Amino acid sequence: MSTLLTRPVARRWQTLFQDVTRALVLVVVGGLALTMFVTGTAQLVREATETKNLSLEDIFPSPRAIAGAWQAHQDLLLQQHIPQTLWETLAGLSIALVLGLVIAALMDFSTVLRWILYPILVVSQTIPIFAIAILLILIFGFGTGPKIMVVVLFCFFPIALNTFAGLQGADPELISLLRAMGASSFQTWTKARLPAAMPSFFSGLRIAATYSVVGAIFGEYITAQYGLGVYLKRSYSSFRLDQAYLAILLTALLSMLLVLLVNLVERLTLRWYYTARRASWRGPGIY
Amino acid sequence: MSERPCIEVRAVSKTFRDDGRAVQALADVSFTARSGEFVTIIGPSGSGKSTLFNLISGLTEPDTGEIMIDGRPVRRDTGLVGLMPQRDLLLPWRTVLNNVILGPELDGVSKRAARRRAREMMPLFGLAGFENAYPDTLSGGMRQRAALLRTFLTDRDILLLDEPFGPLDALTRRELQRWLLDIWHRFRKTILFITHDVEEAVYLADRVLVFSARPGRIVKELTVDLPRPRSSISLLSEDLRRLEAELLEALEGNGPASTPERVESDPDGS
Repeated sequence: MSTLLTRPVARRWQTLFQDVTRALVLVVVGGLALTMFVTGTAQLVREATETKNLSLEDIFPSPRAIAGAWQAHQDLLLQQHIPQTLWETLAGLSIALVLGLVIAALMDFSTVLRWILYPILVVSQTIPIFAIAILLILIFGFGTGPKIMVVVLFCFFPIALNTFAGLQGADPELISLLRAMGASSFQTWTKARLPAAMPSFFSGLRIAATYSVVGAIFGEYITAQYGLGVYLKRSYSSFRLDQAYLAILLTALLSMLLVLLVNLVERLTLRWYYTARRASWRGPGIY
Repeated sequence: MSERPCIEVRAVSKTFRDDGRAVQALADVSFTARSGEFVTIIGPSGSGKSTLFNLISGLTEPDTGEIMIDGRPVRRDTGLVGLMPQRDLLLPWRTVLNNVILGPELDGVSKRAARRRAREMMPLFGLAGFENAYPDTLSGGMRQRAALLRTFLTDRDILLLDEPFGPLDALTRRELQRWLLDIWHRFRKTILFITHDVEEAVYLADRVLVFSARPGRIVKELTVDLPRPRSSISLLSEDLRRLEAELLEALEGNGPASTPERVESDPDGS
């Protein structure tokens, strides 16, 4: 009987303790964030207003200057740099797609594999990719391979994580129903879990697509013969910011085209998903 | 209707662990259903009715007691009965046609053959013209019809229907009840049907089982000797009202679902 009397009292203290802790954490974290924001902004303003060696026109070249850079290097860009970057991006993204799906499936299939793979996955994203990229180049040489690997490193994580979340998020009652209907675990996977995970998979793929071009540029920036990354690097080295802006614009353009491609494929494969959304709120979609 | 018992539930008990507490869902439940019989099950919320369906469909095993289907004990054997859970659980990524063929598809029947049979059944289930619609675009009534057709197409002799008409408005409900009786009569299935609705329980059944609040046990068994087909019976008929009153009395005698009974408490609450 003693537990009946003491327990509610202990509970109340526990609740009070939790409330106080929560408030403390909120104040400390909030205060820190505010301080950071204020000092950080001050720093930015101070540095921006300091005197510069470059004139304003050098830092912000006119659109005409950028267009001039395009006309001057059109052939070089279209025939060598852009195809090189595009090839690395697409190869890396495709490998990341397969790798991400396989990892997500393995983690979904077995709890042991989940315990092993999940930390590795997270750690792989905490190591600065810059460090890994240089290592890869030291190990595999100056060819295209290491750049593709950098793209894979950038891209597989959002695909794996999102797909895994989608697989785990499949309706448990639906899984039960399929089992009650006599489905094997493979059948419940192919007929319920995988299709249920497709919308999440596509959000992961969309994030990966936006990262992928940046990944390729990043690899090329360290060292390469061709590619938008090395074009960008050379432009900076010779203070040709008009060319640098051109490279940035082209990178953004390629990324956007890739995202649009992912959206297109998604629309075509997930017709049910968009039909349902339209039926429920008829809101305007993105793109 | 043959006298051979098709489902036999013998002294079945089931206890769950919920949040560290043991909750007894079913206590010593026994009944049989004959082949081709329509049995409705009624009782307050949390009286273990859905648990009973999970046991019969082989998703879980009873702690004590035994369940026999066609004379064979069920021990986690799934796929012996057709189950329709409370939520329609249609696959949102499949059209109605591809949803209803799920059962045969899982059994390894070719999709083409399954679709052909499903197309033939569509008009009977009021789904003609909706073959290529996605579930999210359908009304609640249409979704329930599709879920029922899916259950029927599993081609099992025993169907377990868990409050199939629960979320529907009164008019649609009445219509679907008539129609279900028609289907049942045509295909001679054995049906166990869970409901909250006293009127529905009597209107549909050959026999009504009344469950008590948790832990669920059968407190009354009522044979409904109204003539069939019932579509012609007036809803105000004396006999119907008498049976409903009898049911209500049995239900109220057990009071509303009380707080979960503690069978054995876990001191750490782990």
